[in-house]
Amino acid sequence: MIEVVAELSRGPVFLAGEALECVVTVTNPLPPTATSASSEALAWASAQIHCQFHASESRVALPPPDSSQPDVQPDSQTVFLPHRGERGQCILSTPPKILFCDLRLDPGESKSYSYSEVLPTEGPPSFRGQSVKYVYKLTIGCQRVNSPITLLRVPLRVLVLTGLQDVHFPQDEAVAPSSPFLEEDDSGKKDSWLAELAGERLMAATSCRSLHLYNISDGRGKVGTFGIFKSVYRLGEDVVGTLNLGEGTVACLQFSVSLQTEERVQPEYQRRRGTGVAPSVSHVTHARHQESCLHTTRTSFSLPIPLCSTPGFCTAIVSLKWRLHFEFVTSREPGLVLLPPLEQPEPATWTGPEQVPVDTFSWDLPIKVLPTSPTLVSYAAPGPSTSSITI
Amino acid sequence: MYFLSGWPKRLLCAPRSPAEAPLHVQSDPRRAFFAVLAPARLSIWYSRPSVLIVTYKEPAKSSTQFGSYKQAEWRPDSTMIAVSTANGYILFFHITSSRGDKYLYEPVYPKGSPQMKGIPHFKEEHCAPALNLEMKKILDLQAPIMSLQSVLEDLLVATSDGLLHLIHWEGMTNGRKAINLSTVPFSVDLQSSRVGSFLGFADVHIKDMEYCATLDGFAVVFNDGKVGFITPVSSRFTAEQLHGVWPQDVIDGTCVAVNNKYRLMAFGCASGCVQVYTIDNTTGAMLLSHKLELTAKQYPDIWNKTGAVKLIRWSPDNSAVIVTWEYGGLSLWSVFGAQLICTLGGDFAYRSDGTKKDPLKINSMSWGAEGYHLWVISGLGSQHTQIETDLRSTVKEPSILLFQFIKSVLTVNPCMSNQEQVLLQGEDRLYLNCGEASQAQNPKYSSARAERMPRHEKSPFADGGLEAPGLSTLLGHRHWHVVQISSTYLESNWPIRFSAIDKLGQNIAVAGKFGFAHYSLLTKKWKLFGNITQEQNMIVTGGLAWWDDFMVLACYNLSDCQEELRIYLRTSNLDNAFAHVTKAPMETLLLSVFRDMVVVFRADCSICLYSIERKSDGSNTTASVQVLQEVSMSRYIPHPFLVVSVTLTSVSTENGISLKMPQQARDAESIMLNLAGQLIMMQRDRSGPQIREKDSHPNQRKLLPFCPPVVLAQSVENVWTTCRANKQKRHLLEALWLSCGGAGMKVWLPLFPRDHRKPHSFLSQRIMLPFHINIYPLAVLFEDALVLGAVNDTLLYDSLYTRSSAREQLEVLFPFCVVERTSQIYLHHILRQLLVRNLGEQALLLAQSCAALPYFPHVLELMLHEVLEEEATSREPIPDPLLPTVAKFITEFPLFLQTVVHCARKTEYALWNYLFAAVGNPKDLFEECLMAQDLDTAASYLIILQNMEVPAVSRQHATLLFNTALEQGKWDLCRHMIRFLKAIGSGESETPPSTPTSQEPSSSGGFEFFRNRSISLSQSAENVPPGKFGLQKTLSMPTGPSGKRWSKDSECAENMYIDMMLWRHARRLLEEVRLKDLGCFAAQLGFELISWLCKERTRAARVDNFVVALKRLHKDFLWPLPIIPASSISSPFKNGKCRAVGEQMLKSQSADPFITPEMDAGISNIQRSQSWLSNIGPTHRDTDRASSPGPQMQDAFLSPLSNKGDECSIGSATDLTESSSVVDGDWTMVDENFSTLSLTQSELEHISMELASKGPHKSQVQLRYLLHIFMEAGCLDWCVVIGLILRESSVVSQLLGIAQSSEMDGEMLQNIKSGLQAVDRWASTDCPGYKPFLNIIKPQLQKLSEITEELVQPDTFQPVTVGKTPEQTSPRAEENRGSCSHGSISQSEPGSNNVVSRKEEDTTQADEEEPLQDGAYDCSVS
Repeated sequence: MIEVVAELSRGPVFLAGEALECVVTVTNPLPPTATSASSEALAWASAQIHCQFHASESRVALPPPDSSQPDVQPDSQTVFLPHRGERGQCILSTPPKILFCDLRLDPGESKSYSYSEVLPTEGPPSFRGQSVKYVYKLTIGCQRVNSPITLLRVPLRVLVLTGLQDVHFPQDEAVAPSSPFLEEDDSGKKDSWLAELAGERLMAATSCRSLHLYNISDGRGKVGTFGIFKSVYRLGEDVVGTLNLGEGTVACLQFSVSLQTEERVQPEYQRRRGTGVAPSVSHVTHARHQESCLHTTRTSFSLPIPLCSTPGFCTAIVSLKWRLHFEFVTSREPGLVLLPPLEQPEPATWTGPEQVPVDTFSWDLPIKVLPTSPTLVSYAAPGPSTSSITI
Repeated sequence: MYFLSGWPKRLLCAPRSPAEAPLHVQSDPRRAFFAVLAPARLSIWYSRPSVLIVTYKEPAKSSTQFGSYKQAEWRPDSTMIAVSTANGYILFFHITSSRGDKYLYEPVYPKGSPQMKGIPHFKEEHCAPALNLEMKKILDLQAPIMSLQSVLEDLLVATSDGLLHLIHWEGMTNGRKAINLSTVPFSVDLQSSRVGSFLGFADVHIKDMEYCATLDGFAVVFNDGKVGFITPVSSRFTAEQLHGVWPQDVIDGTCVAVNNKYRLMAFGCASGCVQVYTIDNTTGAMLLSHKLELTAKQYPDIWNKTGAVKLIRWSPDNSAVIVTWEYGGLSLWSVFGAQLICTLGGDFAYRSDGTKKDPLKINSMSWGAEGYHLWVISGLGSQHTQIETDLRSTVKEPSILLFQFIKSVLTVNPCMSNQEQVLLQGEDRLYLNCGEASQAQNPKYSSARAERMPRHEKSPFADGGLEAPGLSTLLGHRHWHVVQISSTYLESNWPIRFSAIDKLGQNIAVAGKFGFAHYSLLTKKWKLFGNITQEQNMIVTGGLAWWDDFMVLACYNLSDCQEELRIYLRTSNLDNAFAHVTKAPMETLLLSVFRDMVVVFRADCSICLYSIERKSDGSNTTASVQVLQEVSMSRYIPHPFLVVSVTLTSVSTENGISLKMPQQARDAESIMLNLAGQLIMMQRDRSGPQIREKDSHPNQRKLLPFCPPVVLAQSVENVWTTCRANKQKRHLLEALWLSCGGAGMKVWLPLFPRDHRKPHSFLSQRIMLPFHINIYPLAVLFEDALVLGAVNDTLLYDSLYTRSSAREQLEVLFPFCVVERTSQIYLHHILRQLLVRNLGEQALLLAQSCAALPYFPHVLELMLHEVLEEEATSREPIPDPLLPTVAKFITEFPLFLQTVVHCARKTEYALWNYLFAAVGNPKDLFEECLMAQDLDTAASYLIILQNMEVPAVSRQHATLLFNTALEQGKWDLCRHMIRFLKAIGSGESETPPSTPTSQEPSSSGGFEFFRNRSISLSQSAENVPPGKFGLQKTLSMPTGPSGKRWSKDSECAENMYIDMMLWRHARRLLEEVRLKDLGCFAAQLGFELISWLCKERTRAARVDNFVVALKRLHKDFLWPLPIIPASSISSPFKNGKCRAVGEQMLKSQSADPFITPEMDAGISNIQRSQSWLSNIGPTHRDTDRASSPGPQMQDAFLSPLSNKGDECSIGSATDLTESSSVVDGDWTMVDENFSTLSLTQSELEHISMELASKGPHKSQVQLRYLLHIFMEAGCLDWCVVIGLILRESSVVSQLLGIAQSSEMDGEMLQNIKSGLQAVDRWASTDCPGYKPFLNIIKPQLQKLSEITEELVQPDTFQPVTVGKTPEQTSPRAEENRGSCSHGSISQSEPGSNNVVSRKEEDTTQADEEEPLQDGAYDCSVS
């Protein structure tokens, strides 16, 4: 028996283009006091990152699989295929890297290997939607002699900051020294540089505040004014908005604001006809604020953008956009009396109406949601940062 | 605790008219309805949704008779409201709900609309109940009414004529009673005299009063500013039986509010401070508990200008109090006086452009349900309303605002203090701190963090902030995990009353009005009761807690009218069918879980302990509870409502030293009970006959009775203990942590004898230490020695509103409030306290157990810093200074030197003398650093020395450090030291540093940063004709006579001084044949290697022993010694792990024709390999290393393969894995692997054989670089050595060419010749692998020796060629003149050939130098 443990020390969330580092520890769990006969051997272990794509049959019409490319999935169990046995197709993978070969472990012995790979920038972000799923995994395949390959899958989350992949590491070679004795710690520098650049860009995109005011009116008149201070947000931020109902002419009984994502299958992949065809657009609500606001003149809301959600993106097959979806329940009669008239006749008590005929109106305001620091996202993901398997 | 959230909400108000402006708000006892008074109007509002239900307008006629409305008071059952008016009337209104459950504002959707129609309880949740309001009675009290209080079934009214009227809600007229205050005796306490003084004069009346049920009496404020407490001597209120106590020192009271749970009376004073009193249980006297005061430090411009305290309101759960002043502003304090919010400072008081805002004035306020809202009637004080002429200004107008709050779950569910998470609950969402807390429980993580920390190196001369590196990453993470409570649950069960999180922080449970729901942070899903009737039939009464994945809750069963204790499993459906239900005899008020025990506190003041056990029969898993023990507390607890929290702990007064089995996990040793702020401990009574616990079954074992209670501390808000155990951190884990509001925190720390010696009998085993922290503590991380808390933060949005009409928008008036998580280290406080108490040994034990924490250095530094600041700046002499003790304490840690210097650099210079008087002479400390090889710290001390000592001393030390840094290759430090030494020099000189003169373009001498050098290198490569050795570099060399000029200029002198040191170091490196170090040194410090080498050509740059040099280079550059493949005896494959592939390879190797020692074959060999490299890419460097033979070579592979620059990571693994797999040996497996890459066996063997004789690529590049440098500088003997190691015959041919040119140094040639002979001898005996190559270069050597022969003879002749080399004006040139080569000899025929080839070589090399690419150095000579 050999235990293989993979640990992503920084957490399971990465920005595309960042280097992933995973420590793989193989342990012979037998106590060291056991006899030497129980030493265990692994023929090899190899690791690879891949992105698995899966589309809902009822929503996405994918072109028939390319038959010119032979299905390389052989029966033999000796080929390392990280996506073996998974649904969908592997749309992206890094070259496999060998971690070790012919490893022998005495009882109680344990060895650690570090696997490091740069996450490809050209892929989609991790996303689990209604129509499509993009799932990233680090797969560690191990094989004992004369046994089938065992796969240990470590789920990853990849955030994509668009525009980052076009930027190249500044090659300051022109001015740089050329003595071969200068230690170049390029990869580390590049990694932190990338994270820094991503941070800067996100900061620049999301820190700018300016007031946007929207007059909300139904067919009969003005309901109120909606104010929002930003249009671009990062994951984990709060969408803060204000609602001024005091100046409206139409009474609003209730409003709700939902922070939603709209997942839309691109036209060429939409499934047109047939039974059981689901709509090509689906909405998911991530946060919602609902309020009865009949006697409220000013109110505000703050909706947290969950760290576990996917920022907006667009691939050839699907696009994901964020929006605020409003629903207003407004009085159908224009002059709904909310306060007693000033010149009140006797008797002196006044009570509000029991029933108010209402209509509902909705309104959508698109917003942009960008990723945030992957470390921050990792913090928010509870659960172990290690995966393990016993062979 | 309470935190403001977002912006306040504004509610609709009547259009402006003086009679309609709201002035008072009063909630009903259930906080579902709010009565809002305007001068002539009473309105009843519903709390959720906040809508107006009914309103009554006083007709104008009667309004003038009654005067304007003033105050309102609800009858406890919410069926009546009493309103007092200005002219002394009380109006009684009946509130009745309409028949047939009518609701208001029910939305009627158009037909066919999909809106919620059929949802049960829709109306209840979304509509307000319809109420009727009817004035029933009018009572004329003949005097202005000062205060109204509902007391049980009576209404107590204080009037300005000094009377207290007791009016029965029902029979108002006949149940009326009046007490004349002047007949009530007042005294300081109840003991001293039964007959106290009377108020004495007639016109004293009560200004404000509030009834305190748990003290059974009134807190009153008199119109003359005196305050007091009136209590009935017997059970009924009559004048004869009332008695008053008062504190003598309060004479400016303005208002009062009582806290029933903590039995506190808060009196507002005209000075602006709030004095909080409690009643002494034994004497009955009023005792000052604490004060709520703004400090001058925090609010310098407002602290004494707030005006009188206007209103005080305790929160519904009694854990916080809100205070407002005449001048305006809101402030929120915890029950024992920790300040949470004050709107008189910061963003509340100032706009973003820095101008001051008018503070919000509050006329009346009332808390909403569960404290989520505060209803506020805002506006200017009544006296100003008329003056205000600006009618556009809506803000000045009274309006109803709703402030929203978020509170800590600890306020209502104190069992949560077992947890290490911060959980806050808002009206519709929960805030959970994410990240570290859960990891903190895993020791692996904390150690990993600790390891990561010190690696973060700071530049020793960069001024660091107070934050230690890495600390910010640990503490600075302030993000919240926000969980929105399921709206389905919330709609029918608002408000949320309790919430709890499980141990791992992955599951949350909430309980509202009815039932409960839970949420998993992993699946992000809520689980609600499947059967809504079950939900609506239970009310959680006594809190809820997690036990593993079970929820334990105390509830009331509405259908059976039964108190119950229920346990639900998280993973099963939320249904009573899966619950374990135990009937309880009494209402449960509090509940908590300790390990496998549930402790409940009941309304009959009894504590019941249950054991909880997991039971699984098949698929069905449940947990069941069994009563273990019941303890009646009614003797000690006057009222069950006073109990704030009950917990079981393992804390006891004994530390287990005397216990039989100290190793065992400690049991539930004691009950901690917070009784109105008094922390009471009851330990198990071990004095009785001991029961051998292991003999009996754990479930049936008799539990020990409890001792009588002991009071541990006063004014306690929260208590934290842990049930975990950690032998390494016993101090921290077995301690009891208390938060005491304004008094900070306290820790009840166990004291352990050192080395398990017998404890002193006189030494207490525990000690209570108070300490101050700046945050409000919400969770204690035991192992991490951290306290987590939260603070309000504010964001201003006012700058976004530019229109002037928007000035009064709420978003402009108020900042947006958010809650931020904070954390704080407290260890330094505790250590210091222990040191103060002469418990240094304990402090040491504690500190050592925490030394692995990442911020431990920071702790020491903080402690030193604080003590230093305090004692050094103290005005009076300190009789017993602590600083020496602290200093001595820190010496115990290896961080001592670092701590001292960091502390020093963060304090003013003026305090340094004081500091170093305590910790020791900085010179000694500096030397200690050097001895400890801690150069960075030593560098920090230099700054100190520079300021405290004369320049000579600091320079001397700097030199010392510089040399050590050079020796150790700390290049960054070297660069800093160079700058530092220069700075000292320039500071020393009296005259301003002169600018370099134009004659000295390179006055920086041989010391230039490498950028310049690399430029000059390429210049020389391009422009200098071959054979001239780039001697124009002499420009930068200080020539003999110019030395005097240097000394004139102090800066230049410094440069000179530094150069001398650099030269000396370089010389040493060269003499010790440390070429690699020399290369690094030159590259890192920009040392002008070529010019220096030119100078040293015949001195240090000579090779004295070729063999030693060769060997050393092989070793330093990890270059394998060549082997003769034919002699398989030396083959590495013979030893040990030889595999089939290896064998094969070996056979083919020996048969390989390439290896035959022939010159041409060798060259083609190189070419072949080159082509292979380009074909297959650099991957095969792996192969090369893999197959490179020799056990002595193993070391080479273990070296840091940091050549990440080249793109060589095809297929296999990264560098790290590579090296780690090398550690594991078995490279032959890798070979096998490579054979899959469609290489034929022979090709592979050839490549591997070829590459086997080479070292790492990087070494090759470096060696070639050095070769180039030496060639430039004319150090030909070094060139030969490097040529040998690289096995390049071209070097020798080149050499030959140079030797035949005019400038060749005969002595050098002689040296080369003898050296090569030595190498040859050595190769023959020790290293036959060199033989083939030596044979290749034999012809050239032959020529060389011929030249040498020739040279030796003309050596005696007169030198001819001096004039020909005008550049050689240096003294060195003169020395060498004697051995200078003859120009005529260089014209021999083969020589000219070689010159040409060298020229080519030179240019190719120069070209290749820049890109520095793999394989580019494989030059071929044809």
